[in-house]
Amino acid sequence: MMLSGITIVDFSQGEAGALSALRLGDLGANVIKVETGEGDWTRQCPPFMPGSEISAVFFGLNRGKRGIAVGPNPGAAAPVLQKLVQRADALITDRTVQELAEVGLAAVEDDPCILYPRLVVANISGLGEKGPMASKPASELQAQAMAGYTRSLGVLGEPARRLGADVASVATAAFTTQAILAALYWRNRSGQGQKISLSLWNSLLSMKTIHLAAQSNPDRFEGPRCATANGPVLRGYKTADTPISFAMGGVVGKQGRPGWVPFCQELGMDALIGDPRFDGTGRHDTGLGANAIALKGEYEKYFVNIPSKVIVEKVRKYGGIASEFVKHDELFESEQAKALELERRVPDGRGGEARIYAFPAHFSRSVLEHKGVAPGLGEHTREVVLEFGITEAELDQAVRNGGLVVSE
Amino acid sequence: MAGPLAGLRVMDVSIIAAGPWVGALLAELGAEVIKVEPPAGDGTRWQPPQQGGMGAVYMAMNVNKRDITLDFKDPEGYKLGLELVKISDVFVHNFRGGAMDRLGLGWDVLKEINPRLIYCAVSGFGEVGPLAKEGSQDFIVQAASGFARCNGAPGDEMEQFRFTGFLDLAGASLAVQGILAALMERERSGLGQKVAVSMLEAALEMQATRLMEFFATGQNPRPMGSETPGIVPDRAFRAQDIDVFVSAQTPAQWRGFCAALDKPELAVDPRFASNPDRVKNRDALNAILEPIFATRPALWWMRVMERNGVPCSLAQHFEINRYHAQVRENGMIAEVDTPWGHVLLGGVPWHFSKTPCEVRSAPIPGEATEQIVGELKKRILETPQTPQGALAVDLAQKGKVQA
Repeated sequence: MMLSGITIVDFSQGEAGALSALRLGDLGANVIKVETGEGDWTRQCPPFMPGSEISAVFFGLNRGKRGIAVGPNPGAAAPVLQKLVQRADALITDRTVQELAEVGLAAVEDDPCILYPRLVVANISGLGEKGPMASKPASELQAQAMAGYTRSLGVLGEPARRLGADVASVATAAFTTQAILAALYWRNRSGQGQKISLSLWNSLLSMKTIHLAAQSNPDRFEGPRCATANGPVLRGYKTADTPISFAMGGVVGKQGRPGWVPFCQELGMDALIGDPRFDGTGRHDTGLGANAIALKGEYEKYFVNIPSKVIVEKVRKYGGIASEFVKHDELFESEQAKALELERRVPDGRGGEARIYAFPAHFSRSVLEHKGVAPGLGEHTREVVLEFGITEAELDQAVRNGGLVVSE
Repeated sequence: MAGPLAGLRVMDVSIIAAGPWVGALLAELGAEVIKVEPPAGDGTRWQPPQQGGMGAVYMAMNVNKRDITLDFKDPEGYKLGLELVKISDVFVHNFRGGAMDRLGLGWDVLKEINPRLIYCAVSGFGEVGPLAKEGSQDFIVQAASGFARCNGAPGDEMEQFRFTGFLDLAGASLAVQGILAALMERERSGLGQKVAVSMLEAALEMQATRLMEFFATGQNPRPMGSETPGIVPDRAFRAQDIDVFVSAQTPAQWRGFCAALDKPELAVDPRFASNPDRVKNRDALNAILEPIFATRPALWWMRVMERNGVPCSLAQHFEINRYHAQVRENGMIAEVDTPWGHVLLGGVPWHFSKTPCEVRSAPIPGEATEQIVGELKKRILETPQTPQGALAVDLAQKGKVQA
C-alpha cells in the first residue's frame, strides 16, 4: 500500500476533512477518527443505509476508519489524545481553537509545534484562519455563495440555486490530501512537520482562477468566463430523445480543428455551411463559442429529428466532443464505467455489501484497497488507545472521568 | 520562497486546462515546471477573453512555469524531449488516448528512459473503455457525469454550471493528489509509475455525497434549487430584499436558528426535533420559514444568525471578493504582475507554515527555449555513450521514421 505505515488522526466532522482522511486511507494510511459529543453531525444526515440507521453519507465518508469517542468531560481525554497525536504522522482538524484546547490539543495551533515537531497538521476552516471572519462558522452553502458560484446558476430574479455537488468541501478535501502528502514529502527531507491552513472559501477561489483572470482587466468584455456572459447552453441541445452537449472546432493552435463541414453534411445540415452566421469550424458557434447560445436553435431544427446517440457519434467522428446528459444509474451501467471500475463493493459491517465510488486515480503499479465498514461512535476506543501505548489503567481512568467513551 | 516540492522537476506537455493546472499546482508547491508547447502553441493563448493580447486561460493555467517550444515530430526535438524526460521527476500530458504513443512519449517508452518517472495522464473519460480516445471539456463532462443533473430549480431536468472550466480544474487537482501519492510511494520503492486521472472521475468525486446517497437508495440525484438532500435547513431564503444563505447542520445550530427567528416553539416541535425529522418534514418547515424570512431585510438575518452561531452569508461577486478584507488577509486571491498587465488569479489553496507557496506570472511562450534546449544539448553531448543516451538516439530514429 502506498501509505502503509502512515497514521492519520481525523479530528474533523462533516465532509472536507473526512473525505481527505478517507482518501488517505484508500491509499493505505491507518486512519483514526476522533469524535466528540453525539458524534459527527453527518451521522444524522438522511438517507440511511438500507435497513439500518447508518447515514449513507457518514458511511461513505468514514468507511475503513477506526473511531474513538471523547466523552462529556473532554479535558479528561487530553493525555490520551496527546499520546495519539504524538505518534501520528498527520492530524486533520476543522475544530476551533477553543475545541482543540478543550481536549488538550491547543499546541497543534502553535507554529513551530514544539510538542509535536514531526507532526503535519492540516487545519480546515470555512472562511480562513486569519482575518475578521476567522471565527465565523460557514458551511458548503456559504462557501458557494461567497465565492460567487451561485451566481453562475439560475436565472436573474428567480430563487437562488446552488451546485448540487458539494464542490467546496470536495475541493478542500483534495487540497488537504495534497497538502498532507507534500508536507510528508518535505518532512522526509527536513525531519520537520508543519501546519497547513485551508478553507472552503479559499478552495473555491483558487479553483476560480480562470474566471478571476478573465475578469481582471480584459481587452474586450466578452468571451467565456467574462462575467459568465458566454456559458454553455444551459440545458443542452434538444434532440429526438436525450439532450446533448457538444463542441466542434478543437482547441489546439489558433485556427482549431476541421471537421464541422462534413459533420453538417452527414447530418443533412448543409444549409448551415454557407450561412455567414457560422464560422465554418464550429469554434465560435458551438461549445463555449461566443455565438453558441444565439445559434442553438439553428442546430436544434435538425437535432430534434435525430436520436442523441447518432449526433454524439457523428460529432466524435469528425473530431468534436460530445455527450448526452446521462443520469447516474445510466452512467454506472455504462461500458465506460465498468471498464474504469468506477463502482466497487465493500463490506457494510452488517454482513452485506455497500456500493462505493472508487479512488479517483489509476496507478500502474500500486494496488489500492477500498475498505468498508464505518465505525460506530467509540467503537474502537479501547483497541486504538491500547495500540498507541496507553495502559489499561490510563484508559479506565479516562473513561471513569468522562474523557473517553468505550462502545464495543 | 520555496514550497515543499522544491528540488522536483516536472515536464508538462499538456495544453488547455486539465493538464496545465496540474503543472501549475505543482509549481506553486515549489517544483520546477517546464511547460513544453508544440509549435502550434497552446490554443488558450488565443482564446477570449484576453488581456494585453494574451488569453486569460493561459495566464491562469501556467503560473510559476518556464516555457519552451519543442516539436516532438522532429527527430531533434524528440531527442531533446527524451533528454528532458531523463532529468524530470514528473511528466504530465492530457492528450487523447494514443496521441502520446504516436509521438513516442507513451509510458512504456518513458519508463525505460527514466524508471523513477511519475507519468501522469489526464484524460476526459479514462484510458480504457469505449470512450478512451474521446476528448472532452468541462461542459461535456458536466453532461456525461450527471454533474449537471444535480443543478437547477426543483422539477428541472438539469442545468449546466455556467462557470465552465471547473471540472478541468477538478481533474487537475485530483491528478496532483495522485502524483503526490506516487511520489510518496517512490520514496520507499525508488520506482515511478503511471497515474491516470480522468475528468469523468473527477466530476464524480465532486459529487461524492450525492453518489453516496445514490448508492444507498438507487434514486438518481435531482435538482433541488438551493437545498441539499440530507440537511434541513440549508438553503437560500428570500429576505425582504435579497437572498440570504443559511445552514443549520448541528443540533446547536438548529437551536440557534430557532432563537434567531425568535421562534423557540420550532425547536421543541417534534416534527423538527432532529435533522432526520426536518428532512422528512422539509416542506412543512419551509412553509413556516419562508414567510418569516420575507419580513425582514437580509442584513437583519445576517446579524441575528451571527449572534446565534448559525452559518449565514450573502452571495458575493468578483468586485466584492477582490477587495474583501478576509480574502486579502488569507491570500485567497493573488495579484500578479505579468507581461500582459496586472492580473488577479486564484490564491494558493494551501498555506504552509514552513514552506510557503506563492503565485507568479505565467511565462512568455517559448521564453526559456534557448536556455533549456542549450542545457539539454550539452547533456546529450556529455553523455552520448550511456545506455539511456543510446536508447534516446534509437528512439529518435524511430521518431524520425514516424514523422
